[in-house]
Amino acid sequence: MATKELNISPVGRVEGDLDVKVYMENGVVTRAHTQAAMYRGFEKILQGKDPQSGLIVTPRACGICGGSHLYCASFALDTAWQTTLPPNALLLRAIGQATETIQSIPRWFYAIFATDMANKKFANKPLYEEVVKRFAAYVGTSFQRGVTASGRPVEVYALFGGQWPHSSYMVPGGVMCAPTLKDITRAHSIMNHFRNDWLESVWLGCSIERYLEIKTWDDLMAWLEENESHYNSDLGLFIRAGLEFGLDKFGQGVGKFLAWGTYIHKDMYNHPTIDDRNAACISPAGFFDGEKYYPANQEQVAEYIKHAWYENQADGLHPFDEPPPTPSQNPSNLEHSDFRGKYSWAKAPRFNGHAAEVGPLARVIMAANPNNAPHQIQDPLFGDIMKRMGPSVFTRVLARMHEAPRLYKLIEEWLTQIDLDGEFYIKPKERDGRGWGATEAARGALAHWIEVENGVIKNYQIISPTTWNVGPNDAQNNPGPIEAALEGTEIEDPHDPVEVGMVARSFDSCLVCTVHAHDAKSGKELARFKI
Amino acid sequence: MINLLWLKGGACGGNTMSFLSADQPNVIELVQDFGVRIIYHPTIGLEIGEQVKEILHDCLEERIALDLFVFEGSVVQGPAGTGSMNIFADRPMMEWVALLAPKARYVMAVGDCAAWGGIVAVPPNPTESTGLQHHKKQRGGFLGADFRSRAGWPVINIPGCPAHPDWMTQIIVAVATGRIRDIELDEWGRPRTFFTSFTQTGCTRTRAFAKGRKGRFGQRDGCLYYEVGCRGSMTRSSCNRILWNRTSSKTRANHPCLGCTEPGFPHHDLKKGSVFKTMKYLGLVPREAPEGATPLGFFLKKLIR
Repeated sequence: MATKELNISPVGRVEGDLDVKVYMENGVVTRAHTQAAMYRGFEKILQGKDPQSGLIVTPRACGICGGSHLYCASFALDTAWQTTLPPNALLLRAIGQATETIQSIPRWFYAIFATDMANKKFANKPLYEEVVKRFAAYVGTSFQRGVTASGRPVEVYALFGGQWPHSSYMVPGGVMCAPTLKDITRAHSIMNHFRNDWLESVWLGCSIERYLEIKTWDDLMAWLEENESHYNSDLGLFIRAGLEFGLDKFGQGVGKFLAWGTYIHKDMYNHPTIDDRNAACISPAGFFDGEKYYPANQEQVAEYIKHAWYENQADGLHPFDEPPPTPSQNPSNLEHSDFRGKYSWAKAPRFNGHAAEVGPLARVIMAANPNNAPHQIQDPLFGDIMKRMGPSVFTRVLARMHEAPRLYKLIEEWLTQIDLDGEFYIKPKERDGRGWGATEAARGALAHWIEVENGVIKNYQIISPTTWNVGPNDAQNNPGPIEAALEGTEIEDPHDPVEVGMVARSFDSCLVCTVHAHDAKSGKELARFKI
Repeated sequence: MINLLWLKGGACGGNTMSFLSADQPNVIELVQDFGVRIIYHPTIGLEIGEQVKEILHDCLEERIALDLFVFEGSVVQGPAGTGSMNIFADRPMMEWVALLAPKARYVMAVGDCAAWGGIVAVPPNPTESTGLQHHKKQRGGFLGADFRSRAGWPVINIPGCPAHPDWMTQIIVAVATGRIRDIELDEWGRPRTFFTSFTQTGCTRTRAFAKGRKGRFGQRDGCLYYEVGCRGSMTRSSCNRILWNRTSSKTRANHPCLGCTEPGFPHHDLKKGSVFKTMKYLGLVPREAPEGATPLGFFLKKLIR
């Protein structure tokens, strides 16, 4: 019963730096620790600055999710300043959020996730040859088409925001732009290209409308077998290869899910307050504990730092009560971390005391809530899939890809609803106060808490989806979601532990991931591994 | 064929995302048609863990000729000069930068953080971040003012938050096709071809600027310089000549230019009253005038007209 320690640094293809250390017994992971390996101090920088600084600074927290940060930062100020938002502004913010997310779907699948399926680990599988032909990095036929198509939706973002990434076009009181018919027409046309060049032709092998008829796992299986076009589409291949490669067999996680929801309805949040927000979301908010749905009340969030490199703050504080972070001045060497103590630059956020997985899977689970309101997405598919199969690498990837057709339809609908004669911005009165803005970034729940005092930022707190997913143990030493998802994973070849990378990448954490292997008894490092 | 190594320090990955949105050439064409071999990139590289370290050591020991070292993000030196706020492949990233930069034929800083510290270096600069060869408006930075890569070049700065993909790809192609001699750098290490004219060149609101017609958010006309702090008339970039995402630019979408290709970005360190507002003397005279004019001179000229 040899226990082995596997240390992966960097893990790669997650944005930023992530180190993973896993302990294995007989080829099965018994314990795992995720270490965020970078600190940038944005919350510290914002303290004492102009209240609107978050609109410029926070999009730069993440180059992939910059529009999502902007969405949060603008609503945080809207609630603090008690602004009035015209319907056009809510539509254009939702379009920005949605185009950023739909961009990320093919880009993430082909550039970050699917290349792992071309790993030699799967070389003995019948579908391997086809997977390599389509998904291999740079040369795969679909890799090229998918990565190229991913640039399209953000052209729509640029029409309204000027550029992607890193626009600040969402401001308290509305949006900066006042588009014309030319912009709306071009946006429709660009989205059509995305649908024709990739979404329907390469990914679905059918119309968006046909795909959206799928309500259960059985429907999906029937769709797959319905004709060759479905069967041979990239989605068809992913389903067949994913099951053949066993991606449904590992990476379960904590089994609890949190979504803040997003795409705030144009007529339901014209006088933004913290309390009224969640009900106005088209993509619903919620907390799911594996059996029941609960409201996602932001007051139930707390952050733990027992295992994070921060000082001078109590454990378990709500973001409004947290001080700006004081980073440890002597973070221990990542390679020789003591996991009983502090070991990550990520804090451990908890919802009502629970570690919670955030991301596309959490969102589609909330969409299956039978109590969703008429203006909210009502889609039972992943309620059924969760009952049938539960969470896994496969479920997580399927959830992410499932969002593309619906987002496409929503973007089209919102574009038609823009009233070119209406207002886009109503100048607000600046005042002191507290605000909260939240959204669903492509990779999960994101929220900003702001407190403005004497006309400057007194406190700014951000909890990103990556913090939820890669966060370390909490005060009770309960693992974070990726840590939990790695437990029980079978590592077939400890010299090429591709499974660890696939689990981490199925969460799409925005960190670059790293692995090393140690013999737990002697502490001696074994051969190191690539994933 | 050239070897390109891309590493990220205190970065958001925005320049990578910008790079992946490139067109003519796009990233795949860069690899397939222009002979650019990306030996490692943290977002799209297949290698992890030990294999990354092998590549880095191959560069250091010159088993791989490092033609172009691209760095994104700030050089993180905190806490207390140790660099351990940014660990990569088992050591502080700043150590990798110090070792790799002198091995490269050319070093390219993409984005403001790599060029001069950018947003992460805003006071109190909690990560002790700096740029490769500048710290804000001061020469020096992490590598020092005298640093030269193997080809005898200072760091090539491609600023912007993020840098425009074409600015990056065109320099990469220039190196790959032996045309780097056609590139001339300005006093800030920026290629003149992109950073000689102003953001205002090609702006669709120049007539409103000339007439002094004030623009505000949510409107289709008016110049954003007068009230909402547009820096397009004092910022050198080609944003309105080489459009973003093939479609637009900040000022075309009624978004004030933030001046992100200049070493002062974010300007005035985000102090109260400096964000999306034109700062004025006596609430009347804009404190910053278009390049080449004095604030009072420019104001009076407008008044007389």
